[in-house]
Amino acid sequence: MGFSRGIWILYKKEVKDYFLSPLVYILTGLYSLIIGWLFFNYLVASKDLTTANLSQSILIPLFGNMNFIFLFLAPLLTMKVFAEEKKLGTLNLLLRSGLTDWQIIFGKYFATFTVTVFMISMTFLFPIILGFSGYHDWGLVISCYLGLFFCLLSYLAVGMFVSSITSNQIIAAILSFSILLGFMLMVFSVNATHLSLVRDLFQYLSVPFHFEGFVRGAIKNFNILYFFCFSGMFLYMTRKSLESRYW
Amino acid sequence: MKVIELKNIVKTYPGVEALKGISFAVEKGSIHGFLGPNGAGKTTSMSIIAGLSSPTSGQVFINGKELGREKSPIGFLPETPPLYEQMKVFDYLKFVAEINNVARSELSCRVLEIGKKCGLTKVMQRLIGNLSKGYRQRVGIAQALVFDPEIVILDEPTVGLDPNSIMEIRELITSLKKDHTIMFSTHQLHEANLICSHITIINHGIILQSGPIGEIGKSLKNRQVIRAVVRDWQIIEPAMVLSEIKDLFPCDNVEIKKLDGQTELKFIAETDDDLRPSVSAYLLQKNCGLLSFTEEGMDLEEIFKRVAGQ
Repeated sequence: MGFSRGIWILYKKEVKDYFLSPLVYILTGLYSLIIGWLFFNYLVASKDLTTANLSQSILIPLFGNMNFIFLFLAPLLTMKVFAEEKKLGTLNLLLRSGLTDWQIIFGKYFATFTVTVFMISMTFLFPIILGFSGYHDWGLVISCYLGLFFCLLSYLAVGMFVSSITSNQIIAAILSFSILLGFMLMVFSVNATHLSLVRDLFQYLSVPFHFEGFVRGAIKNFNILYFFCFSGMFLYMTRKSLESRYW
Repeated sequence: MKVIELKNIVKTYPGVEALKGISFAVEKGSIHGFLGPNGAGKTTSMSIIAGLSSPTSGQVFINGKELGREKSPIGFLPETPPLYEQMKVFDYLKFVAEINNVARSELSCRVLEIGKKCGLTKVMQRLIGNLSKGYRQRVGIAQALVFDPEIVILDEPTVGLDPNSIMEIRELITSLKKDHTIMFSTHQLHEANLICSHITIINHGIILQSGPIGEIGKSLKNRQVIRAVVRDWQIIEPAMVLSEIKDLFPCDNVEIKKLDGQTELKFIAETDDDLRPSVSAYLLQKNCGLLSFTEEGMDLEEIFKRVAGQ
């Protein structure tokens, strides 16, 4: 079995499982409602902000919130990825099969990412609505979505790792949320020190610092590298966790 | 030819030594029963053979090749079948076949064939979550067979099933013998007697006996207990019965118990011979109104005691 074929087989099954569960539709509904309400409010408020353009008054704060809400939603999506399989005993079915650990991890990772893309798909309407008002900075829109996708991939990697170390879904959700919140709050710790090295380190490690660049329309190599390393590290730890059956 | 061979396997968990250097082999084409009480080390041994955990020390050979971290070509049904309840039986078996490298062109054909073999044809389009325990167990066995492995390991496949399902599962296991080598664990010696050609008995992480069931049975079955219930019995003293029968057949002990106007007699003998013809002839000769006549099988616990004592 080829590497991509193995991923594809598991991906298909996982995506089907997600969309057969009411959880995805509930979370999508909730997310769309919150973000739709925020968009409407930013739109109304933008009339009073005569000095700011639509990007500054609507898109940038909106994407900040879209990203922030996934801090809560991503753990709910990933909590069952491995924890449920462990509890049902089906993880051993996968581990004993012809699939490699990496095929299992990527199959599940991409399937969960597909679900998150489905969840944010309703927000694709917002730039179109702005387009009717003459908004045309599509580069910024693409950059914002790209940043959001990178953030989502990072959150999902953390969630998958935590799900792989426990068979309790509630613990998995709470622990992943705590880790993600820790990376989010790291940026505030910057003000707590006068040491520039520590400050720079904390800043570089925090997720919002790198997302901010994308939201301002700047796609920088080091931001992309950070997200790749962040996701890669947690996926690698997930593999190590699966491998622990041999320890 | 040995398809599975364990050599001096030790498995320790923090504070517990689950397997204490066990060694045994499974012959090709056999149905090998793995017997032991709860906590004896059956599931741990099977998990190691199936490649789900690694031993603390020792070696496992599958078809003469040492088992490492590579996937072992073994069909495995754990104690709780690994089922995705939201999937249909057909889709589930197809998925298991796919992830186990069954060629795409053969997938549907293979799934239908296994479904037929395991008696699942009628429920192929039903959700696994809606199936009865018996059918779920069959689906579990089907997933272990769907990629046509040479060796199939079944961990207590009949536990918790009703008598009809137990018989059907036993028939299914027996029918698999011609194409596969089967190793299955059970609590019941009776079950192992019915379908196994070889058995291994484990207790407290130690192998007590292993080999062809006939040989082990012979070494153990030197004690026979015959229970008879009669209507009219006058002799109360076992010693008197023993003196009456001492020239007829060998018997070491007789127990007599009065039960609601009936009398229960137990003839206990340490012998390799079958005493049933002699005991029945004696009772008929006494014309005591024989109501029932059975041979009491040795339960597993007794066997463990005896084997451990040897």
